[in-house]
Amino acid sequence: MGRQNGKKIWSIMALGAMMAILLLPVATSLNALASGGGEAPPAPAVKAEGDKKDEAKVEKGRDVYYKTEGIVAGAPAPKTTDGTKDYPRYNFESRVLLWFANQQHLYYGSFVLAVPIFCMIIEFMGVVTKDKAMAKKYDQLAYDFIKISLTAYSLTAILGGILIFTFLTLYPAFFGYLSSIFRPVMHIYALMFVAESGTLYIYYYGWDKMKEGLLKWIHLSMSVILNVIGTVLMMLANSWIGFMMSPAGVDEQGRFLGNIWHVIHTALWNPLNVHRILGNMAFGGGVVAAYAAYRFLSAKTDEERAHYDWMGYIAMALAVAFLIPLPFAGYWLMREVYAYRQQMGITLMGGLLAWLFIIQATMIGILFLSTNYYLWQALGRMRGAEKYQRYIKYLVFVLVVGFLVFITPHTMVMTPAELKAMGGQQHPVLGNYGVMSAKNGGINVIITTTVLSFVWYMRGNKEPMVPWKKFGNIFMGTFFGLAYVNIIWLAIYGYYIPANVRVGLSVPQVATTLSCLFFMTALNGVMLKGAKQMGPIEWGKISARSQYAIIMLATAFTWMMGLMGYIRSSVRLFWHVNEIMRDNSPWAYTHTVGFAANMISFNVLFFWVSILFVFWLGTLGAKKAPVEAKAHAPGRVPEPAHGH
Amino acid sequence: MKELLVSALGMGWGVLAVLAGLLVYHFTKGNRDGAFKVFIGMLATLMIFMAIANYKNNFFAESRLLPVSLVLITATTFMMALYFSNVSALLKIGGFMFLVAAALSGYGNWLPQVEGGFPPKEEKLQFDSMTSQQLADEGEKIIFGGIGQSSVQGAIGKGQCPLCHGFQKGFLSERAPNLFGLPERAEKERLTDPNYHKGEPQKRAYADKEACPGCGTATTVQEYIAESHACPNCYVAAGFGVKGTNDKESPMPKIHKPPISLSLPELAAVDTWLYVREGKEPPSYEDIIKSYEKFILEADRPKQQDDKAAGPTQLLADGTEPVDQIFAKAQCVVCHTIPGIPGATGTQGPKLEEGTNAPNRIHDSAYKGTAKTTPDYIMESIVSPSSYVVKGFPDNLMPKIFGQKLSAGALKKIVDYLSQVKAGAPPPKIS
Repeated sequence: MGRQNGKKIWSIMALGAMMAILLLPVATSLNALASGGGEAPPAPAVKAEGDKKDEAKVEKGRDVYYKTEGIVAGAPAPKTTDGTKDYPRYNFESRVLLWFANQQHLYYGSFVLAVPIFCMIIEFMGVVTKDKAMAKKYDQLAYDFIKISLTAYSLTAILGGILIFTFLTLYPAFFGYLSSIFRPVMHIYALMFVAESGTLYIYYYGWDKMKEGLLKWIHLSMSVILNVIGTVLMMLANSWIGFMMSPAGVDEQGRFLGNIWHVIHTALWNPLNVHRILGNMAFGGGVVAAYAAYRFLSAKTDEERAHYDWMGYIAMALAVAFLIPLPFAGYWLMREVYAYRQQMGITLMGGLLAWLFIIQATMIGILFLSTNYYLWQALGRMRGAEKYQRYIKYLVFVLVVGFLVFITPHTMVMTPAELKAMGGQQHPVLGNYGVMSAKNGGINVIITTTVLSFVWYMRGNKEPMVPWKKFGNIFMGTFFGLAYVNIIWLAIYGYYIPANVRVGLSVPQVATTLSCLFFMTALNGVMLKGAKQMGPIEWGKISARSQYAIIMLATAFTWMMGLMGYIRSSVRLFWHVNEIMRDNSPWAYTHTVGFAANMISFNVLFFWVSILFVFWLGTLGAKKAPVEAKAHAPGRVPEPAHGH
Repeated sequence: MKELLVSALGMGWGVLAVLAGLLVYHFTKGNRDGAFKVFIGMLATLMIFMAIANYKNNFFAESRLLPVSLVLITATTFMMALYFSNVSALLKIGGFMFLVAAALSGYGNWLPQVEGGFPPKEEKLQFDSMTSQQLADEGEKIIFGGIGQSSVQGAIGKGQCPLCHGFQKGFLSERAPNLFGLPERAEKERLTDPNYHKGEPQKRAYADKEACPGCGTATTVQEYIAESHACPNCYVAAGFGVKGTNDKESPMPKIHKPPISLSLPELAAVDTWLYVREGKEPPSYEDIIKSYEKFILEADRPKQQDDKAAGPTQLLADGTEPVDQIFAKAQCVVCHTIPGIPGATGTQGPKLEEGTNAPNRIHDSAYKGTAKTTPDYIMESIVSPSSYVVKGFPDNLMPKIFGQKLSAGALKKIVDYLSQVKAGAPPPKIS
């Protein structure tokens, strides 16, 4: 025990030292730049003399966001004109080319940043678990994950190169301005990328050499470093889009005022960071789950099917776990958008881009429906779960009603004839379900039902044996029942009170849903301690249809990511950098919903075709057979924590 | 169906010919299994090309038939998966993903289509020589996007005011105060409100005490309106502050600053409309300008010349107009006859029935361009007219500037329209 603790301490110290070394350049450069553009102060002897001379020359500007004064240290944002000088072009819309390059880089980037986080979690589970067979199983799974991301990693770098060339050749003026502002950040970004690559290669290729003892802990620590670097990389890249949406650190003319921290730390940077981390995780989980589904569907043996069924389950569980807090992070982001510029928020939620949010609502509905469908299918591989099958039809009904309410629009864009026929912009009946009050009720019902499905899934093959079983079951049933009543009642009550009060009702509704999520799953877990097993989980004996639910989930994640990215980017309307640098290209208008949907679908399919190709390539290489947990009976191979 | 099949064969004959060659090869070698797989491949190829042909033929016509292509492609992948077992999972997954992505695309296209136009053009208007009514009309345009639009729900102009403010009597205005009756309310309620601290800005408890150092507070109704625009944080109507600031901070942007950037004359027009629409006598243009000059320092006033130079105003058409107007603005109607476009009866250029002409010209031996499809040919003819010169018409007569003088949106509308014009068929609808 003492030896083990000693190893942990050593590994933590090694980890700390490595992180300190890696992050040192960032810390030093940011400090230096924050205090005046990164230039060393003049020597005291010459300072006084210099002050007098410079005073006349020094021009000061006021930060557009922080409102602080700073010395002008950059050129104004270029005022571009529509021509080949500022916007060189092919006989094609440059914006679409850039959109494509950006989106593909982003898909791959998100994936390769998310997978090491999974690896870290799963490798850690493997290290701390006492069951040796399971430990090996987790270790193999983590290795499989990183192997998938390694091929994607080189593609990410290639796509990054293509993206930069696209920027340089099609938007030179804009990219020139952005790189003049972010020069030091871009250099740090490049250095971090080198560090990320180095760490990743050591992490991957050192897997077998560092599989035991202290070396294993160091290996695990390296996954932490890998993720710290990856997260910093992502945050640096986020600072560019944050600056484009909500610029800071520059004056009204776009002149840099010498404080790089202001430029990075814009109004939307932090919400974007949180939203993207969660989004990447959900997306990465979706991609890995799709990989597992692919391997499951092409598996030739029961062992393979069992392994990839389990892998798909774990990846999907991780994806859904990060999907659930995502709307709250999104809510925070939107709140900050409204706080930054109310018009921007209204353009998003109630103006030009509002129809895209109807698509988003549909996507969220699809994600939850797919998740539920997968869980119901998964009940089929557990003996004893039959008792829940007959109730599924009621859950379907509740989910579909919630979904239909959630996607109903309130105000519709119509022709005068349609307007006349309907008697107004709102449908006399359906319009009532399109208001926020009903929608909040709809989505909370959907999430609560998903929690209920999950609770049933956890109980699938188990019978609680705790003495207070009956009380626990009644309590849970009542809790869920009251939760539905509360959510629906508040949704109805919202119709009878003013809008500013109604907004506040979403808080108790969400609190009810989260209470179900945390308390009921926790209570269920407690009730299942020492539960009677009705039969094993027969991994691999899930229907093929369930794998299509996973693929649906992965495709929907990808599509939604493309959609939300498009919304976020197009809210700037005709600005390259909001209110600072205007877009004067011939493409400074916002596309129709249909065009955007086609483009997103194209990007999604291109990504999936390319990544399926990567998966297929992976199967061509030397195959590392899934580890058979010989300690278990066939069909009972992997059993993660709590049996699920 | 026959037409679809012919169209598919026309497009995919090359691939089918190669596959037919393979089929013969396998037969001659006695490889029945290989021959069968090639046969399935041929069937799948034909189905894919039929799907493409259906998509192409119905793109501008029966949009409800477009999902047929989607079903055909998905069915093809699943059919292939049955016979090509080594890539079966990939084909099934690919087909399913295609179904999902294409269905979402279809959903996006089924929803109402709204296209965000270009930023508003700067027009040179002489505000100082306008009558009150003319000024008020300009104000209504700035607020609502057009004269008479103030009574239209959802109408919005450059000022973007109706995003938050209500303007009609009794209209529920939740985000910002309803501006009906503002001139009267400003005098009787706002200026006399103890929280306003008329003449004593330092006593104010709001986020900003004054619009600029030494600006002081408003003393007249017009000054109050000007101050509200120039410094929304100097006084916040109760209940309309930013949440969590206890009404100390206003969510309203300074509308003389980007992105709205109303100039002082434009602000004068807006204010004049607020008086005129209630039947009240507005202050003179000069008085309104003075009221703003009190609260907006010289350096902070928007410089219109800069905006103009930066705006994409060099275009003949920006794509927000209906296609007949685009044809008129670009002067196409002077030289060409275009079925369905009023006044387009020119004869210096060929008659533009490109739905019929383009496919023939692409296959003409004299054609030197690179277009393979009708839309590509039309686009090429606009941006590079010499790629193909129709017999009987001189080269270099058509200007080569339209690639730069028309926006991408405008070009797309022209191409979409002309692709549908066919000889002997009724002209397409103008959109």
